[in-house]
Amino acid sequence: MTAAIETEKLTKYYGRSRGIIDIDLTVESGQIFGFLGPNGAGKSTTIRLLLDLIRPSSGHARVLGLDIHHDRLAIDRRVSYVPGELSLYSELTGGQLLTYLGNLHGSIDAIYRDKLIERVELDPTKRIKSLSRGNKQKVGLVAAFMIRPELIILDEPTAGLDPFVQLEFEHLCEETRSEGRTVFISSHQLPEVEHLCDRVGIIREGRLLAVESIADLKQRALRRLEIDFGGSVPAGAFVGLPGIRDMNVHDGILNCTVMGSVDALIKAAARYEVRNVRSIETSLEEIFMAYYGSGDGIAAAAGAGEASHVAA
Amino acid sequence: MLLRNVFTKTIRDLRWPTFWVALGMGAMTGYFALLFPTYSKIMDMNALLEKMGPMAKIFGSSIGDASTLIGFLHFELFSMMLPAGMIAFAAGLASGFTAGEESRGTIDVLLSYPVPRRRLVLEKSLAILIACFVIAAATGLFAVVGAALSASELPVGPLSAALALVVLLSLAFGAIALAISAATGNRGAAIGVTVALMIAMYLIDALANIVDGLNTIRPLSLFKYYAGHDPLRYGMDLGDTAVLVSVTAVFLVIALVAFERRDLAA
Ligand SMILES: Nc1ncnc2c1ncn2[C@@H]1O[C@H](COP(=O)(O)OP(=O)(O)O)[C@@H](O)[C@H]1O
Ligand SMILES: [Mg+2]
Repeated sequence: MTAAIETEKLTKYYGRSRGIIDIDLTVESGQIFGFLGPNGAGKSTTIRLLLDLIRPSSGHARVLGLDIHHDRLAIDRRVSYVPGELSLYSELTGGQLLTYLGNLHGSIDAIYRDKLIERVELDPTKRIKSLSRGNKQKVGLVAAFMIRPELIILDEPTAGLDPFVQLEFEHLCEETRSEGRTVFISSHQLPEVEHLCDRVGIIREGRLLAVESIADLKQRALRRLEIDFGGSVPAGAFVGLPGIRDMNVHDGILNCTVMGSVDALIKAAARYEVRNVRSIETSLEEIFMAYYGSGDGIAAAAGAGEASHVAA
Repeated sequence: MLLRNVFTKTIRDLRWPTFWVALGMGAMTGYFALLFPTYSKIMDMNALLEKMGPMAKIFGSSIGDASTLIGFLHFELFSMMLPAGMIAFAAGLASGFTAGEESRGTIDVLLSYPVPRRRLVLEKSLAILIACFVIAAATGLFAVVGAALSASELPVGPLSAALALVVLLSLAFGAIALAISAATGNRGAAIGVTVALMIAMYLIDALANIVDGLNTIRPLSLFKYYAGHDPLRYGMDLGDTAVLVSVTAVFLVIALVAFERRDLAA
């Protein structure tokens, strides 16, 4: 099966300043892919290159197996896009805008569109300029999903969505995946997309650092465990169990860090009286930081709630 | 339905500006046509122009007979007001066709639908061409009605020729504005450069009538092809018309090519 997105040494310089450098990224069809990186990493640059809105300095890319420049119109019929800074014709109503975009596309299932409008509870008779940011996002989402795209590209879509729309948005993404179609979401906040994504790619300072499946990452999840045994237990009973690190037993309380499954530890502990177990799961965020992070990494961007990283 | 495609959507966007400009220009022209008999009773236009001496030539190499309505309209409106107004209309809107979508940020969504960049420019250009002709037609209509009400004679042929030339001149400046904005994405620069160019060209053409030295560069002024052949007396000159149309076509092609190749603003 052709990959939804395939880039080969994709590079973009804005004049002399770095946009992205040598991105080799493959996104297989039928998954939800998270494209993660701090502000200024090059997420929007990559996306706008894929849509032929800007042109690469070097390298190539194919979307649904088609050349991003020469086959742009064919791609646009099958791919939809919600930009990060969503700007729509504010003098139109939501309904008029969807009519216009539907006409430009050429073949829209009006019944499906109306169902989407209902699902996100959009009032299509209101002028876009009078809509709140969240309601504008609804228009953008309906516009993107109404063409039943084979690939939907969303640039930081989760900012400003109210919880209800967020949930509906996630359902739409999952439906898209279950039909074998592909979702590509960029974000600078892993926690916002980790539960949604099958795989994530990490981009920093214009370079793709890694592509990992969320399942693999979770495999490497670290947990801090604290088990309170009523009386004293021999530390030796837990030495050498798979995945156990930093273990100590003190006053009948065992502290350790477990990587991966806790099964062996729990089974070993069950031979003694257990009063209490506390488990503290480290977030994927921390795992990321452990693997790829430094001060300006994703964790810093997400944790601080804003990007401290500014490209030179 | 005006939301079928980029062309009809642009017509929709232009409908009110077009209406108001048509009303303004029409009312002004109708007003002069209506009051012409009164004006010519109060003062002898030809005598007035004579008193101005060589300066009168600033209104055109041969301004014709200001004691006729058509000559009066030329002197009052066609020498500056109407072309300046319609140029401002055409250039102001054309400069926003692509650059406006870029600065508003709507271009990302628009071009993520299957619309070729070239078609975007062409369909919007077609819309402004129609808008300019509508304004010219309305202006002509007001003039004819005003003339009829004041029982003045107004030959429709020369009037139509002059109005058609206003449109062609405006489209040429509109194409220049479009090319600059399509190539740079900078609407302000497009308007600024085009207006500066219009003023410079106007002055060259007007002053060339009294300053001989300017005649060598006069062919650089689009105004020469607009009124230089005295359309109110002789109708449209094929060569001059061809120059205006060619300039429009060249800058439209520049706009198409430049916009096709460029990185669009986020
Ligand atoms: N139009 C532009 N001109 C110059 N530099 C740009 C432009 N757009 C983006 N950049 C630069 O390219 C880098 C990547 O930006 P961007 O792709 O917007 O990052 P992200 O979407 O991950 O926040 C940044 O350093 C940014 O400053
Ligand atoms: Mg971005």
